Amino acid sequence: MRLAQHPSHQVDYSKSLNFIFNNKRYKGYEGDTLASALLANDALLFSRSFKYGRKRGLMAAGVEEPNALVSLEIGGRYTPNLKATEIMLYDGLSAVSASNPNAFDMRAFIKPLHRFMPAGFYYKTFIKQKVWAKVEDRIRAFSGFSKAPTEEDVDVYDHIFHHAEVVVIGGGAAGISAALEVLNNSQKERVILVDERSQLGGELFNEFTSDEAAMKWHKDSVNRLLSFANEDSERFTLLTKSTAYAWHDQNFIEVLETITTAESLTSSEPQKARKIVHRIRAKEVILATGAHERPMIFEANDLTNIMLSQSVRRYLHEYGVISGKKVVVYGNNDSIYSTARDLHVNDIECVVVDVRSSEDPIEIVAELKDSDVKVLQGYSIVKVLGTHQVKAVEIKQTKLQGNSWQVFGDTQTLSCDLVATSGGFNPVVHLDCHNGAKTYFDEVSQSFLPQQERDNREVCGAVAGVGAWQDAINDAKNKAQFTLNALGVLSELTQEILSENYSNYFNVSQFFTPKEILNKPKVFLDLQNDVTTLDVALSIREGYRSIEHIKRYTAMGFGTDQGKTGNINGIAVAAELLGITMSEVGTTTFRPAYTGVDFGAMAGREVGDFFDPQRYTTIHDSHVASGAEFEVVGQWYRPWYYPKTGENIHQAVHRECLATRTSLGMMDASTLGKIDVQGSDAREFLSRIYTNAWMKLAPGSCRYGLMCNEKGMIIDDGVSTCINDNHFIMTTTTGGAASVYSALEMWLQTEWSDLDVHLNSVTDQYSTVAVVGPNARKLMKLLCQDVDFERENFKFMQWRQGTVCGVDARIMRISFSGELAYEINVEANYGRYIWDQVAIAGEKWNITPYGTESMHVLRAEKGYIIVGQDTDGSMTPMDVNMSWILAKDKPFSYVGRRSFSISALCAEDRLQLVGLLTKDSSTVLPEGAHIIDNKGKSIGYVTSSYFSPILEKSIAMAQIKGGLAKMGETVLVKIVQKKQGLKEIPCEISSSVFYDSEGEKVDGNE
Amino acid sequence: MLLIHCPYCKESRDQSEFSPAGEAFIARPESPEGISDEEWADYVFYRTNHKGNHWEQWVHTNGCRKYFLVERSTISHQILQVAPFGARNSETEL
Repeated sequence: MRLAQHPSHQVDYSKSLNFIFNNKRYKGYEGDTLASALLANDALLFSRSFKYGRKRGLMAAGVEEPNALVSLEIGGRYTPNLKATEIMLYDGLSAVSASNPNAFDMRAFIKPLHRFMPAGFYYKTFIKQKVWAKVEDRIRAFSGFSKAPTEEDVDVYDHIFHHAEVVVIGGGAAGISAALEVLNNSQKERVILVDERSQLGGELFNEFTSDEAAMKWHKDSVNRLLSFANEDSERFTLLTKSTAYAWHDQNFIEVLETITTAESLTSSEPQKARKIVHRIRAKEVILATGAHERPMIFEANDLTNIMLSQSVRRYLHEYGVISGKKVVVYGNNDSIYSTARDLHVNDIECVVVDVRSSEDPIEIVAELKDSDVKVLQGYSIVKVLGTHQVKAVEIKQTKLQGNSWQVFGDTQTLSCDLVATSGGFNPVVHLDCHNGAKTYFDEVSQSFLPQQERDNREVCGAVAGVGAWQDAINDAKNKAQFTLNALGVLSELTQEILSENYSNYFNVSQFFTPKEILNKPKVFLDLQNDVTTLDVALSIREGYRSIEHIKRYTAMGFGTDQGKTGNINGIAVAAELLGITMSEVGTTTFRPAYTGVDFGAMAGREVGDFFDPQRYTTIHDSHVASGAEFEVVGQWYRPWYYPKTGENIHQAVHRECLATRTSLGMMDASTLGKIDVQGSDAREFLSRIYTNAWMKLAPGSCRYGLMCNEKGMIIDDGVSTCINDNHFIMTTTTGGAASVYSALEMWLQTEWSDLDVHLNSVTDQYSTVAVVGPNARKLMKLLCQDVDFERENFKFMQWRQGTVCGVDARIMRISFSGELAYEINVEANYGRYIWDQVAIAGEKWNITPYGTESMHVLRAEKGYIIVGQDTDGSMTPMDVNMSWILAKDKPFSYVGRRSFSISALCAEDRLQLVGLLTKDSSTVLPEGAHIIDNKGKSIGYVTSSYFSPILEKSIAMAQIKGGLAKMGETVLVKIVQKKQGLKEIPCEISSSVFYDSEGEKVDGNE
Repeated sequence: MLLIHCPYCKESRDQSEFSPAGEAFIARPESPEGISDEEWADYVFYRTNHKGNHWEQWVHTNGCRKYFLVERSTISHQILQVAPFGARNSETEL
């Protein structure tokens, strides 16, 4: 029901908006939330509960709402599990309940069984009995949450970075006051004020009908802030509809701003961000995050139209909405009288039920009684009557004896259609705790308050336990002065006298947890996860004591609302049942994020093409023109294979391999990491980080090296070229380039700063074209006239400086295929030219470009390892049968050497790299397949596996326990085949050199 | 997210520019062959995992590429001081 427009209302009755909820059309106004608009339309049902499928309505008006979960929009704009209370209405909005309250629900149908479904039910029934896998899908379909999105998000999200001297979080009375105090008393300090609502003011709106001073202060202060924002935008940034969801180390604050409007959803160009993550680095933080009200607990407290008292007020004041005609206001603090007064002023019938007995009646109670509002003090609601919606409450007399509440006397029934409850307030300490602060339990406010003193942060207003708006404003001014002092700004404090109409809400009586209520069924603590007092009692009976364990056993506080309303009552119930104090129970841990954050917003613009850098060689366009398929290797787009029309990968690789082995192939090797090593100790450095000898490598020569870490494990390999005694060029694996470079720098800077060595990454500076095959020499002679390519003059593992097609080049005679091969290195921008010239000149030998797949086959035929494929960070050189590369007589104990003699690394049953030949030569083993012994136990796995075109058979490399001593033995490889199911393939362990074991091919044809 | 002052660039920059590089003052034994397996394992594997103020190495990966020393509280993540490499060789030495 909507009331007549009042100045406190933040909705504009002249601007109506259409929207659709659960397939029904409704009208709301600009300024409404989805929740307030539905409430105004008397649409009270929002969802079904998580476990029992009970119909639920609204409980709150803000982010603490546990029930009203909805899915917003459809298709590429679909967003699951939003709270209806945090969605600002826009024209054309479309939403559905996360779990439709009007649809048939199996769980509600099996209602008589609910008492057999306590905490731990699913675990005990399904997981312990090992049938979970069979029923999981069906059970999950029941849960009260939205379905996951199925389409790609079409929206754009942004990230903005800010630096500020002061960040004020929370735009209620305290936050407004603090921000103004800082701005008024400083000259250049940058201030950011963050508030989750669309209008500054927080709970202050609730005081507008009863106190004109509140309205005046609000109007003046907000206008002043807006003028700062408009006129001094360098200094002051105002972020509304923005939730600070995390506070990290060193005052790094993350804020999510929501900008969903009708325009942002319908306009196409230019596309505006729907949400923005603001990342703020602040010097000082002022927390004015306020407090969330918590409910009183009683039987059947989850029926529709049982709401928080201050939320009822907020719907009334901000949106002009009330969802009942006859209200029972129930609680344990003075805020309930303010609610009753506001309802009465709006001609809504109400009764006040206060658990506290009146010893010292306050003024407002007398006023209410004078205006014929029934006030029952020393009474409590024990039960609510009604099927889905509240019809009446049952009340009994109450008194506090010693430390425990007693409920006694006859039951009276009050008919009503709305219950407004207040069980006190939970200061929003979440952000403070994200950043490591502790809380303490305060007896007066019966709440956990943030610790008093912290560096670079102040707390003010409700979060600091200040329970009257006038006090909050002055508290904030005071704390803002501390902040100014911390920044070295001198100023004088002036307190404001605001109004006489004064009510402190934070004198709260002890938690109302009498046995008579705790022992009843359906006394809900966490409404989103359907956790009741009996669940907490059960977890304690089953031996859980820590609140963290009770939380995990019952799932209390695990929902999307993170138990903002319910957790503290759960703690109180646990304290009562355990017979200890609130302080001894303590709170669960508050972790980011405070409220849900869209994955899209976290990703920002770093999606699609911007997800990861894409690196291309200078030859890339030529590969594209040749129709290459690409694979991504450490951000590089490398040609994978070059299919001709109609060819699949196997046919293309077959052709490429045979052409290379029989005539001529070419490959783009530009992506290999290249590190320029210079300095008078370059040789010494290489011999410290590689396992083999480097002191005698002559200029003009190259050498293969294997690099280990101190643990003795292989981390990289590659060929280094000696340019001169003080200059080497090291190549690394494509994927390992960055980490190797970083590791080398670490040795030089932190251990061997006495060595004269300088490193530079030159990967991008050179293009490398490999010319591979028995006819390679003939081609090189055609392309380069100033180098002698004769076999005896330009030997394997040598390099020459020359001119290739007019371009200066370093030509290395090295090979990763076992064939005669030359790698032509030129300044990067000549890469494409050289590639194309090689391709043209090689036509007469049918030169065939090949990609990484053929490269892998060719190297596997020769048994060459690929670090990271045949090794996994736990393999030593001995494990891969490369003991030959370990120098025995280097004076310096090179990196990793000492570890080789540790007993564990010498064990005979270590995984060792061997070759594997299937008995049926046409079967290609899947990589990763397990190798089993005759007892069916795994003894290793396949690391590389291909069909070799030149050998016309399947070849594989594998790590097998003690494999090097098992040559010729037969083992079984277990594989799963689509139709036949599990199959065991017999294989023979062999040498991993399958082709040209004598090494005769490396010199090529004449 | 830490804000780290690079002693070489002399600027405070976001953590995303840096990489952690382990506990500081772990010196490589001078003659690895002359020590026992236990001593070698202590150097390779064992770290103090200290609760409190802790000296560690960071590298300005996306900046000057220099390694440097950082004293950081492992409780509050507050950075107490930074120093260029070699400015000190142990926790106590100044």
